[in-house]
Amino acid sequence: MNARRGWFLGALSLSVVVALAIYPAFGTGYGVRSTLQIFMWIALAGSWNLISGLTGYVSFGHVAFFGIGAYAGAILVTSAGWSWPTAALAGGVAAVLLALLIGYPCLRLKGPYFAIAMLGLNEVVRALVSYFEGLTGGGNGLSLPTADVTRSIYYVMGLLAVVIIAGTYLIITSRFGLRLMTIREDEVAAEAMGIDTFHHKLAAFLLSAVGPGVAGALTARDQGYIEPISVFPLAVTVTMIVMVLFGGKGTVWGPVLGAVALFVIQELVWAHYPYVHPLLFGAIIVAVVLLMPRGVLGLLQLKYHLPRTI
Amino acid sequence: MPVLAVEGVRKSFGGVTAVNDVSFALQTGRIYGLIGPNGSGKTTLFNCITGLERCDAGRIVFKGERIDHLKPHQVANRGIGRTFQVIRVFPELTALENLLVVTRGARADAERRGRELLAFVKLEGLAGEYAGNLSYGQQKLVEFVRVLMTDPALILLDEPAAGVNRTLLNDLLGAVARLRDEGRTILLVEHDMKVVMGLCEIVFVLDHGEKIAEGPPGLIQADERVIEAYFGR
Repeated sequence: MNARRGWFLGALSLSVVVALAIYPAFGTGYGVRSTLQIFMWIALAGSWNLISGLTGYVSFGHVAFFGIGAYAGAILVTSAGWSWPTAALAGGVAAVLLALLIGYPCLRLKGPYFAIAMLGLNEVVRALVSYFEGLTGGGNGLSLPTADVTRSIYYVMGLLAVVIIAGTYLIITSRFGLRLMTIREDEVAAEAMGIDTFHHKLAAFLLSAVGPGVAGALTARDQGYIEPISVFPLAVTVTMIVMVLFGGKGTVWGPVLGAVALFVIQELVWAHYPYVHPLLFGAIIVAVVLLMPRGVLGLLQLKYHLPRTI
Repeated sequence: MPVLAVEGVRKSFGGVTAVNDVSFALQTGRIYGLIGPNGSGKTTLFNCITGLERCDAGRIVFKGERIDHLKPHQVANRGIGRTFQVIRVFPELTALENLLVVTRGARADAERRGRELLAFVKLEGLAGEYAGNLSYGQQKLVEFVRVLMTDPALILLDEPAAGVNRTLLNDLLGAVARLRDEGRTILLVEHDMKVVMGLCEIVFVLDHGEKIAEGPPGLIQADERVIEAYFGR
């Protein structure tokens, strides 16, 4: 990359960050809340990209990390009286522990079997959360003490999104990241070349659980009330997947583009066509998969020979 | 002490015995050939040595250590590199990245070594190209030098000559001879008899999973059992 282009991109990112930082001072409540949601989707899609975009191991249960983070955070805030930022970190830790527990057996499974196992996992975790009523409130859900912290959470969620974008950049440009991609490209050859594929997958999986865990805890605090069906919906996993596929898997900015574009499309469709909203959204997904299976940036990357750091 | 000793290795798939009680030893700094008709167990034997398949019986000893229970990456990290019968480069990684992924230590050194090896097979101009966009022969060369990046003591080549034009083939064979001169040991599976006879010092012949002959190429060509295995009686 030449220096002028570097300066331009640096200045552009800085202005975007500054604009987003001062936005809550004059933005509407709806605007701030929507932007906060976009940050959340960037964090979720970016995290899913780390395991599934890089290693090709498609996780159909990633919302489990979001849900477990939400419950860990909510329980620590309500029962243990933790402050929400500390609880958010704990949400990330809880998600990583869950990832460790299930990564050990599940990442030994190959491709499609892993995807199915992850789908089952989410249902198991949701059932367990509903079952342990004493701790989680079961189907009645869990209410957090009231607090108006949306603006603070806006900043923390924004920071989380930035950290995940920066982390993705560092990983993709490192040999560790290249090794993760060899798993997607040809796992047998990677093994035969001396790459410990299991531990590489596990590392990527643990890293991919952090963001959803923290985001879950932050969302729980922001919404003030959680229940199993609200934090473990399959639709959240599907949305993460679609965002990454739309933007371009295995790239730095693909998940960001996907999160922003699909969130905006979803909001517009929902506002104008509330009854056919799922239908239209589904049609968009089908069109993307059929017309550009590599996503927008994946297409540009191949056509113009761009690096993965786009 | 041989660099690699294969002792009584057996491997079955269901009712098919792919490798049946095969033993041989490789001495350091030589080029060995492994030949046999299709389905005689050559690739399965490669897979057993490199840990992709677990032997049902027997021992495989590399530099004095048993390796038959190890995972493929552990075998590779002990100094056994291989290529595949069907090319297995990482298509969406560039040629240079294909070489970088197998390295540890300082990245700048790895990149320098990678570019040297690409230059060695005259691909330096394509370092930044996705491996999947290269021609068949170029991919074969990338796969070949990728093995060298790990600095292996023993190199297993599965049909290095298949689908490679004459000029390229001569370069490849020259490179193999140079690797031997550096003190590495090479075992190659090959159907092209000219290649085997010209390059290998000792040839092992497999038929129906059993080793039916072993010796210098000249003697092997005249061996009754070998002729029978290839042409029938």
